[in-house]
Order: sequence, then C-alpha cells, then structure tokens
Amino acid sequence: MLTLLQTTLNGLVVGGIFSLAAVGFSLIFGVMGIVNLTHGIFVIAGAYFALVMWRELGVDPLLAVLPIGVVLFAFGYVYQRTIIHWAVSRSSLVASLLVTFGVAMILRNVLQLVFSPDVRTITPPYSFVSLSFGALQIDLVRVVGLAASLVLLSLFALLLTRTSFGRAIRATAQQPLASQLAGINVRHVYALTFGLGAAFAGASGTIIGIVQPFSPASEVAWTLNAFVVVVLGGIGSPAGALLGGILLGLINTFTAQYIGPAMTNAMMFLVLVLMLLVRPQGLLGNAFGETR
Amino acid sequence: MKSWLLLPLVIVLVIAGYFLPQWLSPFHVRVVQFFFFAAALAVAWNILGGFSGYWSFGHTAFIGIGAFAAAHFSMRIGMFGAQPFSIVVPIIIGGLVSAIVAAIIAYPILRLRGIYFAIAMLGVGQVFAELANNIRWFQGGVGLFVTAPMPPGVPPERFYYYVFGILLAITFVTSVAVRYSRLGAGLIAIREDEDTAGMLGVPAERYKIAAFVISASLVGMLGAAYAFSVGYFTTSTVFRIDFSLNMIVYSLIGGLGTLFGPVIGAAIMLFVTQVLLSHLLEVHLLITGLIVVTIVLVIPKGILGTLSDAMQRRRSVDRGKAQPVGEAR
Repeated sequence: MLTLLQTTLNGLVVGGIFSLAAVGFSLIFGVMGIVNLTHGIFVIAGAYFALVMWRELGVDPLLAVLPIGVVLFAFGYVYQRTIIHWAVSRSSLVASLLVTFGVAMILRNVLQLVFSPDVRTITPPYSFVSLSFGALQIDLVRVVGLAASLVLLSLFALLLTRTSFGRAIRATAQQPLASQLAGINVRHVYALTFGLGAAFAGASGTIIGIVQPFSPASEVAWTLNAFVVVVLGGIGSPAGALLGGILLGLINTFTAQYIGPAMTNAMMFLVLVLMLLVRPQGLLGNAFGETR
Repeated sequence: MKSWLLLPLVIVLVIAGYFLPQWLSPFHVRVVQFFFFAAALAVAWNILGGFSGYWSFGHTAFIGIGAFAAAHFSMRIGMFGAQPFSIVVPIIIGGLVSAIVAAIIAYPILRLRGIYFAIAMLGVGQVFAELANNIRWFQGGVGLFVTAPMPPGVPPERFYYYVFGILLAITFVTSVAVRYSRLGAGLIAIREDEDTAGMLGVPAERYKIAAFVISASLVGMLGAAYAFSVGYFTTSTVFRIDFSLNMIVYSLIGGLGTLFGPVIGAAIMLFVTQVLLSHLLEVHLLITGLIVVTIVLVIPKGILGTLSDAMQRRRSVDRGKAQPVGEAR
C-alpha cells in the first residue's frame, strides 16, 4: 500500500515536469501542425544554459528561468521566420519534420563540442533535502520543480485565454486565412508562437536540469516524451499537456516499480500506439478544433 | 534506356565490380564496401518511404534486429555450410527475423499516417534498442562477438566488399521488381492519395504491409552482414539514430521514389563525409544536419527529381506548350 502511494506521488511529481516540458511542443503542433523535432534540443539547451549560469555566475536555476526563456524565445522566433518557414513554403509540412531533425543534429553536435558528451547535473544547495509526509518521502527539488511547472503552466494558460495575443494565436490556429483577413499578421503570430514554444521548452529545461541528469544525447528522449504527452492529453492546450504529462509520469513510475525499470520506454510506446489507434486526438481533443 | 543495352551493361558492371578491389588500396576497398552497405540501406528504405510515402524515422530497428538475430543464431545454433558461404544462413536468418518482427508491428503502426507514422517508428527504434540493451539474454549491453570464418587468402575488407556488393545487387533488383509490379503501382498510388487509391480498388492495407515487410527484411539482412563485418558490436553500434537518418537523407538527395536516387545520394554523401571530411569525425553529425537542411530548402525533390522536372519543362517548351514553372501545392 505504501509503495503504491509512493509510486503514485512520484508519478505525479515527474508528470508535472513532463507537462511543462511538452507544452511548447504542443502549442507549436496545435497552431502550425509542425512536429518540432528540435524540441528536445531546446529543453537540453535550457538545462545547459542553467548549468553555465549556475557554475559561472552562481545564479540559482530557478531564477535563470526568465533569461533563458527570453534567449530561447528570440532563437525560436528567428528559427521559424527563416528555416521553418522556408521549408514549409517550398516543399511540405512533412519536410519541416526533416528540417527540424537536421537542425537537431547540428545543435546536438554543437552541444557535444562545447560541453562534451558527458552526463551533467545541476546541484543547488537544496538538492539533497528531502521532505517526508508520514512514511512518504519526496525530494525537495522535485517539489520545487513541480511547483514551478504548475506556475508556468498556469501563466501559459492565462496568456492563451486572457490576452489579445493569446486570442490572436487561437484565431490563427483555427483559421489562418480568416485571421489574416481580420488583420492579424499571421507570419508574425506563427513566429511568436514558435518563440513561445521554444521559451517554455528552455524554461522546462532549467527545471529538468536540477531534477535529472542530462546530456546532449538525451534530447531524443525529451522530443519523444513531448510527443507522447501530446498524443495522450490532446493538442494545443496547457490542460491537455498537464493531463498527458501526469499520465506519462504515472505510466513511467508504475512500470518501473511493478514491471521493471528497463521496460518504461517500451510501455510508454505501447500506450502511444494504442492511444493513436483508439483516440488519435488525445483525451482532451484538439484545443483549436479542426485545424488541418 | 534501351533494353538491349541492359544486359551488356550489367555484365560490365559485375566484372568491374569483381576486379575493382584488386586495384584499390585496402582503405578505399573499405570505403566502397561501406558505400554498398549505405546505398543498399537507402534503396531498401526507399521501397517503403519513397514509393509509398511512409517515411520511417526508425529503420535502424531492423538493422539491430537483423544483427542480433544473426549473432545469436550463429552463437547458439552454429554456422552451416562451407567456408565462404557459412555467412549466408545467419544473414538470411537476420532478414527473416526482421521480416517477422515487421509483420507483427506492421498492422497497428501502418494505420498511422504522415508525421504520426514517422514518430511512431522513431519510437520503435528507441524501444528495440532499449530492450536489446536491458534484457540480459540479448547481451546488447556487454556486446557480442561474431566472426565468420574467412576463405583463406582473402583479406576481410575484400570479403565483405563482395558480401555487401551482392546484398546491394539483391536489394536493388528487389526494388526494381517492386517498382514495376502491380505492388509498385499500388504503392505510388497510395503515396499520391491513399483514400482515393483505396476507393479505386488498391488494397492499401495489404500493399503497405508488403512494402514494410520487404523493406524490413532487406534491412535486416544488411544488419546481419554489418554485424559480421564489424566482428564485435553492442546495442549502440547497430541501433543508431544516424543510420535511420542517413537512409532518408540518401534517398532525399538522390530523389525520393526513384530507383537510382538512393544509390546516387549515398555515393555523394559518402564521398563528402568519408573522403573529403574523413579527418573531421566529431562534426559528422553537424555536416549531415547541414546537408539535410540545405537539400530540403534548395532541391526538395532531390537530384533526379529536379533533373526530370527540368527535362519535362524543356520538352514541353520544345513542343511549344508553356508549362507553369512552379507546381501549385
């Protein structure tokens, strides 16, 4: 019984972080229909930025979230305006898959050259404290990570639903042509959306950095995770990402606990394929309605 | 091409291929051997990805499955046949096991289309790698030794040059046979518009599965031969994401869905990476990425696709018919 509760708790905590890591991917997928295979790189780049700022400047990773978000936002904006836009307009949406994959290889190689392929961790002073609720144990960093994730996800939801920029994004996702007619600069909104997605990926990376070890090669896992979260929860909405992320977290911890730690990815993949076959739009459906 | 030219051309190619390693240095024999391997992989990938438009991002799964199947077969059951041919049975086993695995996962996974299929295959590659690494019995973590008894007097690079040469020939002939069969026509129709093709009587489900299994079995055989050629391998030697990517890139550079495209693409890419940039090993990923991005942005149809477009345009200009330069999409 205790193991069950502990496993559930761990799953929820990890799931919250998965949610944050996936929400940017989900937004880009929902608005533009682009599967951004560079996503994992954004996440890992966020973690490396946090590492550098922690090592060189002594900035706490949680405070680094904002500047890292800004840097990645700028990168995402330019990236969409140039490479992604060219690829989609010159050939097809599937070509964007290949282009983002190519860019992911380039950046992964760059990260390997700069930081070496070794596995790194960020260890702020609070990383070895653990809290206990009765018999249940939990690391403080994970709680902090979860809290930060929830705060950022809420901010993201507010941005989408309450601001005029969010309204422009939702309108563009539903009807690009109609929103253009209504005076929205669609190309600008696309680029801003991409920047926002990248910013949230980077922010999640800083939190992942304090919770888990990372290396340039772990980017693939984060891209796949994001994809699974989106397929489980539904495209485009923070609520879908949260639901999908928590489900994925639970699947991972329960598989590791009761079936074997080697089987987590296999189980995740099994759920992914089943989900795609049974309910391809995800549990909460597509937040932007029929986009494509 | 005139069809009467074909037979002499093939004979010349075979003879040239047979004598080529005697004139080359061992290093260059190895490069050509790797070219055969890479080109065959791309041709096999192209049967599914190029003809039917189902882009697999995880074909390295079948390299791995073939390699592991062949290694375990020769280790636990043994090698059969006389010396130069003892490698044949394990290679066939590698292809067979790969085909069986492909047939099992084909039905669910081929219901997914486009991006979803691509990502699901990326997942398949990851999952099989993880299973091979973590299940003790497969020994993917510690590695496996596989050595084929070599015919006396033949250096290993020359032996594997012939092995991969023959495999490339088999793969290429299979690809040609598929392309000009009913199956091939069906696959092209599926690529253009799957729903319409199905409506017009193409058994889309069956054809896709057939293409998937054929492609996987060829890749499995290549994986088995690769395992023998390296002699010792671990999970990360055969389940490599850059293998998956390279198959796509070679096909894309040469021209997706064309017969010679993947071979030309492999030749160009290998010349660039192995010969021109052979001393810059740690930036290979970067260069491959750069080439992918450039190709997609500049010639999305590949070399052969762009050439045939240009020729078609010239021909229609000759006939006095103006044809729109860019196609509406």
